[in-house]
Amino acid sequence: MNGGHVNSELGQLQATMQAIEIACSSIQINVNPTAAEATILSLCKSPRPYQTCQFIIENSQSANARFQAATAIRDAAIREWSFLSPDEKKSLISFCLSYVMKHASSPEGYVLSKISTVAAQLLKRGWLEFTAAERDAFFSEINLAIIGNHGLDVQFIGINFLESLVSEFSPSTSTALGLPREFHEQCRKSLEHDYLKNFYSWAVEAAQVVTNQIMNSDAAVSEDRVCATALRFMLQVLNWDFSNSGRVVKNSLDVYSFVAKEDSNSAYTLVQLGPSWRDVLITSGHIGWLLGLYGVLREKFSGKGYWIDCPLAVSARKLIVQLCSLTGTIFPSDAGDSQGKHLLRLLSGIIHWIHPPDVIAKTIESGRSESEMLDGCRGLLSISAVTNPVSFDDLLKHLQPFGTLSLLSSLMCEVIKDLMTKDLEEEPWSWVARDILLDTWTTLLTETNTSGMASLLPPEGINAAANLFALIVQSELKAASASEEKEEYFQASVAAMDERLSSYALIARAAINITIPFLTGLFSERFSRLHQGNGISDPTTTMEELYSLLLITGHVLADEGEGETPLIPLAIESRFPEYVETEKHPVVVLSWSIIKFAEQSLDPNMRTSFFSPRLMEAIIWFLARWSSTYLMTVGEMQSYRNSIDEVTLLQMQQSRKALLSFSAEYTQGKNLLDIIVRISLTTLISYAGEKDLQALTCYQLLGGLVRRKSICTHLVTLDSWRDLAHGFTNNRVLLSLNATHQRSLAQTLVLSASGIKNSVEANQYIRDLTSYMTAYLKDISSKKDIKSISQQPDVILVVTCLLERLRGASSASEPRTQKAIYEMGFSVLQPILKLLEVYKHESAVVYLLLKVVVDWVEGQIIYLEPHETALVIEFCMHLLQLYSSHNIGKISVSISSSLQSEANAEKYRDLRALLQLLQKLCTKDMVDVSSAASEDQQTSISQVIYVGVHIVSPLITMEMLKYPKLCYDHFALLSHMLEVYPEMIPKLNHEAFSHISGTLDYGLHHQDEEIVGMCLRSLRALAFYHYTEREGGRDGLGPHATSYKDAAGNFQDGVLSKFLRSLLQLILFEDYSMDLVGAAADALFPLILCDHGLYQRLCNELIERQPNPVLKTRMAGALHSLTTSGDVSPSADRSNMRKFRKNLNQFLVDVRGFLRII
Amino acid sequence: MSDEEHQFESKADAGASKTYPQQAGTIRKGGHIVIKNRACKVVEVSTSKTGKHGHAKCHFVAIDIFNGKKLEDIVPSSHNCDVPHVSRTDYQLIDISEDGFVSLLTENGNTKDDLKLPTDDALLTQIKDGFAEGKDLVVSVMSAMGEEQICALKDIGPKCYSINATRAVSFKENLQQL
Repeated sequence: MNGGHVNSELGQLQATMQAIEIACSSIQINVNPTAAEATILSLCKSPRPYQTCQFIIENSQSANARFQAATAIRDAAIREWSFLSPDEKKSLISFCLSYVMKHASSPEGYVLSKISTVAAQLLKRGWLEFTAAERDAFFSEINLAIIGNHGLDVQFIGINFLESLVSEFSPSTSTALGLPREFHEQCRKSLEHDYLKNFYSWAVEAAQVVTNQIMNSDAAVSEDRVCATALRFMLQVLNWDFSNSGRVVKNSLDVYSFVAKEDSNSAYTLVQLGPSWRDVLITSGHIGWLLGLYGVLREKFSGKGYWIDCPLAVSARKLIVQLCSLTGTIFPSDAGDSQGKHLLRLLSGIIHWIHPPDVIAKTIESGRSESEMLDGCRGLLSISAVTNPVSFDDLLKHLQPFGTLSLLSSLMCEVIKDLMTKDLEEEPWSWVARDILLDTWTTLLTETNTSGMASLLPPEGINAAANLFALIVQSELKAASASEEKEEYFQASVAAMDERLSSYALIARAAINITIPFLTGLFSERFSRLHQGNGISDPTTTMEELYSLLLITGHVLADEGEGETPLIPLAIESRFPEYVETEKHPVVVLSWSIIKFAEQSLDPNMRTSFFSPRLMEAIIWFLARWSSTYLMTVGEMQSYRNSIDEVTLLQMQQSRKALLSFSAEYTQGKNLLDIIVRISLTTLISYAGEKDLQALTCYQLLGGLVRRKSICTHLVTLDSWRDLAHGFTNNRVLLSLNATHQRSLAQTLVLSASGIKNSVEANQYIRDLTSYMTAYLKDISSKKDIKSISQQPDVILVVTCLLERLRGASSASEPRTQKAIYEMGFSVLQPILKLLEVYKHESAVVYLLLKVVVDWVEGQIIYLEPHETALVIEFCMHLLQLYSSHNIGKISVSISSSLQSEANAEKYRDLRALLQLLQKLCTKDMVDVSSAASEDQQTSISQVIYVGVHIVSPLITMEMLKYPKLCYDHFALLSHMLEVYPEMIPKLNHEAFSHISGTLDYGLHHQDEEIVGMCLRSLRALAFYHYTEREGGRDGLGPHATSYKDAAGNFQDGVLSKFLRSLLQLILFEDYSMDLVGAAADALFPLILCDHGLYQRLCNELIERQPNPVLKTRMAGALHSLTTSGDVSPSADRSNMRKFRKNLNQFLVDVRGFLRII
Repeated sequence: MSDEEHQFESKADAGASKTYPQQAGTIRKGGHIVIKNRACKVVEVSTSKTGKHGHAKCHFVAIDIFNGKKLEDIVPSSHNCDVPHVSRTDYQLIDISEDGFVSLLTENGNTKDDLKLPTDDALLTQIKDGFAEGKDLVVSVMSAMGEEQICALKDIGPKCYSINATRAVSFKENLQQL
């Protein structure tokens, strides 16, 4: 009877096993896969399938079936965990562990690693329930396995298990267990604190045990697999995100994302372990052993068993490189002494991979793998990140007669030499190496790494840098002259090479006193070559070389200002103390030679033969960059953090003075400015259709000049500037400039008026500049046949050009010239309305008209007197009205889908402009500098916005809000409007209000943080207004806020109650940036006050939803202290808001950890 | 033959030029251009160069405004392109005849009866349904280089918001005063 029962049970187990085996094999050969999948799934979903699964794992011949059975154990155990008895839990884990140990030599590695992972996951699941003794029981088994008591295969399996375990515990690689985020965090901390270091030591031990066998045998031995895995595991541990390495406190709140290690975008990561790791990593001879192991391996590369890219060698190198970036408190505080020793030891190993560079490069060329050399470069990069240039250089001096910088330089020279012979599209090894080494230089030489003068290289280092720079330039020139003429050469922009060139410039500046004269020499060679070959030989090569040289020199001499006035590079200020005469200063010599060359482009013959558009682009770019740093620059020398002796300082100051007096206001400055302006005029007039060149001229060069007032003062007195202004108004050639360039040029010309001291004259200057534009527009809009002629392409062209110019001029509004610009805009108000009418089908013109008004209003509104304001506002209302009447209810259909989407995009741009217009009008209430005496004269802006919103909002559909910029503008206006003019809300009609609340609901769940923030501010404003009004016994939002029955007879909450619900949902369960918590608190508090009853109900719901009493109490407690702690009282004043903000922060820290399930 | 054709065309246009020359570099995305003798709307402009130190060229991708076909052209940016004279006129719809022609009311009170209903389904249903419901419909007719087509429809019902009329008037008065 009993035996029969056992038999039938056995039979059932076998039947299930067979079913699973058949399912697995039929998936493999793809026969009826859905049925097979269902069979396997049913095993995973069946209750308590453990016995069956264990049976399959132990008895099945099919590896896939064993694999699936392991999956089933995992799924079921995670699902049923809380119903399993402690013994069952432990036995499942031990079953997995002992299975993998027993079958360690099985050839089906994937099954073993799956089962090992299952063990790791289950161990993590029970981590917090198990006592330390219980955990240690498992780990002592593992430890025995790892130190090699049961043979190599078991050793391998043991380390493999630790690998899975660590990756399960590491937040970024863990598997979801359906548990609160808090759980994962506790596991992570516990492992890091109590186990990680032991694991590391075990791995070291395991590797050391097998080292001898590897070292002593000539052929490959099976020990190397264990060793490689152990090394890989050590690397994994070093990459663990240690909590003392700058994890921010904010993280405890931010349960969704894990802040990647700082500097994660750079090629190296700093490894910052605490002092507790010192014994394992530093004092135990670990590094000596590792280097010894790799050293022996290297000798064996020529033999059969090992080669340079074998797994063992790769893991060893990676670990060595990673150890180079060790820093922080792991080293005793002895002024970097022990860190220096540590690095020196590592470098003594790495040096063999990269030295001597020429030999290494040659062997790579003759077929050796480059990976060791690249790892060597990475090692240098890591070292550079934890040292300064001097200590970096000194390291190697302990081992070799030269410093590390010299090695770095000669290594890079070899790399660049190789690069010159290669086709870049194949991504040769030298290309990778160059990038790593450039990173190394940049890391060493950027200021943030060290301080002030300390970034000076030692003398040998300077020579090394100079040699390297010379070779870099040579290679760039070679590349320039070699590049063939391609039929369709798509132009690479000047900016595209920026990053590489600025790294080059850092190297050049490290040896500036050598590199500047060097560059001067290269230029003069090419200038004379150009002149000698005049008309005979093809100058293209020389032109291309000059192009490259100009870009390189621009980077060396000056920094990118990014809108601000860049300083003279520190190296240039401080490294030429012996030059106190202007004409002899190397920087002056170089600059003057380039400017003189550029001046030759003014000669028409020279221009046609040598100054191609591309070369001119480089010249204009250079002039822009040079002039923003050097032209008419005043100001003090940068201060030094390091003290230097007074004599040197004095010399430096004198040399700086000599440098600046080359282009100062009182010397040649004006002359140079004149040359620059005349060159600009030439590029605008004589290079028709060269958009890129003209863009550089308008934005970079001229735009940069007028940004500085000292330059404007001289600009307006120059004949050449007057020529430019005159040409702008009268020369038809300038009408053919690209539209955006027109705008920029108009802006530039108007801005230069700031250089005219007399304000009457300044205004007159602007009137002269703009009167022809307004006159033309007035004239054409009053023509009788305007309707027919307006659609002629030539008329459209002129009108758009002039409108662009008006836009440019409007955006140049400044207090002193405001009057002239107001008159300019005022005189075309009527024409603008007329043009809006006649061009209603010409979307490009409509958009421009709207933008002209936006820019003009933006520039003017804060200055306007009450009667002017009234006029402007009425005009704007009229404009909105007209636009709306043209567009509402209009359906245009196009056969072409791309034209249709164009049309949509155009409409979206128009709406954006309208929203911007309303926003600009709002600013009148914020800033008003007009001389208006009494308040009552002011036009009510809120009234305007009220009307405006009624006009514009029907045009904005939810579909349109998908355009990010429109969305942004919409919510910016909305939040502003609700915050500043909440009193208009109750007056809005139902349609407009539900449109607003609908878009708010949409915006609350937007991905963009800023948009969510604006929605929260809007909500706050709405709720706050309603609450205070109600407190005062008034109506508040009135019907908008009360609940009602909808058409279907369902009871609908009022709008504020709806928002209370969705806001709670958002802050508790959804993903959002933690920076929004403050804004959310500000919105939540008044919402709670508005509908306290609903809030209570929601709270109860929340508490009820918690799965167990512990969490219920925690939730209830947290909710209670949210509204009570810190003496929050139910009134929405400032101090309560502040307290509530604090409470909400604490509340989220308390509850998000267990609400968020991973 | 070709001469004759040319003469015939210019007569039909009665003095109004069909196309205008314009420098290629000034033609923007969204503007119009003639490619292969068809009026097109530009949807993409890119610049390239003939050789490194050569001059810029514009590469246009454009869509025929009447049949939706895509056309491309490359022109040196300092050279001239032909730009079509595209005009759009609004007419009130007064009738749809059974043979698919529409009857439109011109500004000076005449009727224009030579246009067919559009082929586009969406627009077609809108026009037919709207007309059947007795709405006041305005259609926009686009014409260029001797071709015409209905391209848009607008219901001039009471839907648009009106600000009070006095505001608009007072604004004009103010303007005149100044």
